[in-house]
Amino acid sequence: MSKYLDLSVLEIHRLYQEKKLTPKVLLEEVFERIEKRKSLNCFITLNKEEAMKEALRLENEEVGGILWGIPIALKDNIVTKDLRTTCASKMLENFIPIYDATVVQKIKDEGLLIVGKVNMDEFAMGSTSETSYFKAPKNPWNEEYITGGSSGGSAACVAARITPLALGSDTGGSIRQPASYTGLVGMKPTYGRVSRYGLVAFASSLDQIGPMTRNVFENAALLNVIAGRDEKDLTSAVQEKEDFTRLIGKDIHTLKIGIPSYWISDVVTQEVKEVFNHVIELLKEEGNQVEIVDISYLEQAVPLYQIIAMAEASSNLARFDGIRYGYRTLEAENVDMLYEKTRSEGFGEEVKRRIMVGSSLLSSEKAKIYYDKALSIRKDMRKSFLDCFSQYDLLLAPTTTSAAYKLGTSLSDPLKSFMDDVLVIPVNMAGLPSLNLPAGFNQDHLPIGIQIIAAPFEEAKIYQLASFLEKKLNLDLEGGHIDE
Amino acid sequence: MSKYEATIGIEVHAEIKSQSKIFSNAQNSYGKMANSSCTVVDLGYPGALPTINQEVIYQGIRACHLLHSTITEKMHFDRKNYFYPDNPKNYQITQNRTPIGRGGYLQIKINNEVKKIELEEMHLEEDTCKSVHKGRMSLLDFNRAGVPLIEIVTKPCMHSKEEAVLYLEKLRETLFYGDISDCKIEEGSMRCEANVSIKEVGAKTLGVKCEIKNIGSIRNVGIAIEKEIQRQIELLENHETIKEQTRRFDDKLEDTVLMRYKETGNDYRYFPEPDIPFVVLTDEMIDHALSSLQLTPDERREIYKSKGIQEINIEKLIANRTLSDYLNTYLDTELDFVIASNLLLGDILSYLHKNFIQLEQTKLTKEKFLDLVLKIKNGDLSNKNVKDILEDVLSTDASVSEIMQQKNIQNIKDSSVVIDIIQKVVTENPESVKDYQEGKDRAVKYLMGQVMKEAKGSINPKLASELLLEFLKNTSN
Amino acid sequence: MEKLSVEEVKHIAHLARIFLTDEEIEKYRVSLAKLFEMIDEIHQIKGYDEEIMICPWQSDSSLREDKVGKMLTEEEVLKNAPCKNGRFIEVPVMLNE
Repeated sequence: MSKYLDLSVLEIHRLYQEKKLTPKVLLEEVFERIEKRKSLNCFITLNKEEAMKEALRLENEEVGGILWGIPIALKDNIVTKDLRTTCASKMLENFIPIYDATVVQKIKDEGLLIVGKVNMDEFAMGSTSETSYFKAPKNPWNEEYITGGSSGGSAACVAARITPLALGSDTGGSIRQPASYTGLVGMKPTYGRVSRYGLVAFASSLDQIGPMTRNVFENAALLNVIAGRDEKDLTSAVQEKEDFTRLIGKDIHTLKIGIPSYWISDVVTQEVKEVFNHVIELLKEEGNQVEIVDISYLEQAVPLYQIIAMAEASSNLARFDGIRYGYRTLEAENVDMLYEKTRSEGFGEEVKRRIMVGSSLLSSEKAKIYYDKALSIRKDMRKSFLDCFSQYDLLLAPTTTSAAYKLGTSLSDPLKSFMDDVLVIPVNMAGLPSLNLPAGFNQDHLPIGIQIIAAPFEEAKIYQLASFLEKKLNLDLEGGHIDE
Repeated sequence: MSKYEATIGIEVHAEIKSQSKIFSNAQNSYGKMANSSCTVVDLGYPGALPTINQEVIYQGIRACHLLHSTITEKMHFDRKNYFYPDNPKNYQITQNRTPIGRGGYLQIKINNEVKKIELEEMHLEEDTCKSVHKGRMSLLDFNRAGVPLIEIVTKPCMHSKEEAVLYLEKLRETLFYGDISDCKIEEGSMRCEANVSIKEVGAKTLGVKCEIKNIGSIRNVGIAIEKEIQRQIELLENHETIKEQTRRFDDKLEDTVLMRYKETGNDYRYFPEPDIPFVVLTDEMIDHALSSLQLTPDERREIYKSKGIQEINIEKLIANRTLSDYLNTYLDTELDFVIASNLLLGDILSYLHKNFIQLEQTKLTKEKFLDLVLKIKNGDLSNKNVKDILEDVLSTDASVSEIMQQKNIQNIKDSSVVIDIIQKVVTENPESVKDYQEGKDRAVKYLMGQVMKEAKGSINPKLASELLLEFLKNTSN
Repeated sequence: MEKLSVEEVKHIAHLARIFLTDEEIEKYRVSLAKLFEMIDEIHQIKGYDEEIMICPWQSDSSLREDKVGKMLTEEEVLKNAPCKNGRFIEVPVMLNE
């Protein structure tokens, strides 16, 4: 049996150019692996027929860019025309979008093959992917464990080496945290770097789509495809086009790296500290300067995030009412019942809880003392980060407080999903780019990651350090792939 | 109404004129087939995001300028959250904290005195979708969803229905002339709501206010306010309390009826719209917006007055924007505006009405119109001549002189030619001359008629009658 | 930790237009209270700059040119609507207006 999927994207690209491989053959291998790893519960909807058609179409085309003909999985909150998009919710169980998200358009234009839509927490609300209406995906490294979330299906899919690439979305760590739990490279780009048009909104001012991949280079290559100003998204930034791979491979010896003190405090477990300290030692050995820094409001980041995320979510999810699309109750005798029953039956428990909290936080006079206050402090927090970047090239921190834990652990605790994200949330609050890099393992041989954070629009710098560390650490990250 | 005093505030929603909608590039249309003018943004589809139509911002700037409001240079939008089937996202994008305009006023003339009607604020927002009721169901048409609106709110500063009506007429005129809105109340492109309360004269605090919605014409706003004031006075006189409520105007009853009592604290959960960053209105944008503004109605009134046009004609012109705009294209010419306005509002307007056409559909060129007015002024054309030639002037390419020639209308301005005609008429009508000498006025009229007949109408009647009288005087001496 | 009252939960659920069974109300009395307790930690934060940040990135607010673009077909508008009637999307009669 062929194992082209174990090759790097660059190697596959070379085979395409030399006409030794066709997209169709590669795609067939993807669907074989999907079948073989069904127990992971990665996919909600497969796009087999269309992907095959596209692969055959590509065979009559010149080989394009590096990612031409490369299979990709999309988180199921990114809308795809004529391909079911559920947000892992009963509410959208039968929803067939009538348009493509901007990132989907870009991916199609570049000749990537969309294999299917992958599992996630319902409407991206959760940190284990267990709130999915379609049941949780499993961690390919050990199927008793969580993948993390909310982009758990994207993580599982790439970690199991089913597709080389996946897109996730990150509102409060939803790319980096599952990447950390499954040994992947996951980037949350600067807010505004990637268009949100067609990403089903959870919290508009925090959401960002990003790449999840096996290695650093492939991550940068995928960001190259999806980044850019979009006329359809007023929050997308006007930036000159750049090649995010351009600094990869350049050595690093004179960087000034900051480590926010709170992020190495007792909130982090010993297993994570060990991995993290090893990385610090390595950087120092190479001549880089590493210092502890202070960033304001990191301790209160979670409640501040909760206010903004849930308030925005309560409004963003108001549109799911059973009128224009989506689930509609059978008991819609009047308008009030149409709303209350549809939303009661269509949303899961976690989503309902967050919508209710958000609605309450905005009601009557509360908006001022909660939402406005959170927006103001958020501004200060961002400023504190930016001040820090005037002295340091990059910030470094653990991504998660521990390695992945067993499925079912967190379900009864409404706060657990937020506390899991305590280290990743501040980055969304400040709108910064941050990447999870696999950095080691715990005793159970589960991956542990670190995050590299940069000033706005400095993703290339992150990739430079990440690729440097990737090479130095030289980890075997194939643990999620069952090799027969 | 001696014991009580009414306090009235008015809220107007006007649909802004533009090609596309405020937050999407669907067509801003009226009367199209249901659900044919919308995009995923207007349907509130998952993942869809708003963009901002720059023309709507410009229109807002123009409205601020015309209503003397202070422009908010750094503004944002807010979400107003409420569940209703005509509200596609179940939130409406509007402006709550940073309305595009604050303060401002419009001047009305009441009892020959000028009064300033003060404004609270004005803001931009999106319209809801339209619903049609059919039995136990309502049917939704999303064409109107996302049509740009400007909401203009006065302070509670009016005290009579007359003021309210004058304010609305002035506002409609201003927005219409600013090309900001069609202001067609019948089509719903201008919607009025009145807040009415009463208090005893001299009382310091305002009474409980009631809101009246769905008023289909400015006249009905007047009626609605009057009825509402009466209703409230009756309640107070009967020692009943007035409850805060929303009422609507019923056309058939010509009265207001209760819609609902005010819910305790309508909780709209306003918060800044995170999908739209701050919008900064630069001086450049403001200059650009204002550069296309035409003369306001009041500016036109001043100009027409200075050109000697009678007040009644001035108001007729303002009421007919096409004619006013047309007349204004002659502002830098030597045109006699009095004659021109008479001609436009008289013979030309009736020709247009008779033929169901617009002025620009006629063959009237600038040269022809100038020529026509000049010839009237110089006495080359009499009123009767004008009536005879107007149809040809408006419907053919021929010049005024050519038409006059075709119709054999000569410009008899030569006194000797006129005297010759008079001589002939006098000779042929000795009885009338005799009647004249006996002091019978009728004789002059008869002779004058004969002169005009002889000249086939092509003499300046003023000149003819002067010469006739002189001739008769001379012959009797 | 105090539980929320049944009325409080009902009020919040109504704001969010979510019907809750008595059993669910009991559950949310506890879990909502936990969340509110955590959120209330922000009351400890004092002395911050009150200017708000709406979104992290302030773009040069590029506005759209006023041009009509591609619109949806009738079929697309109605495609996902659970209840339709001719060219319209149907809902139970709206009483308020």
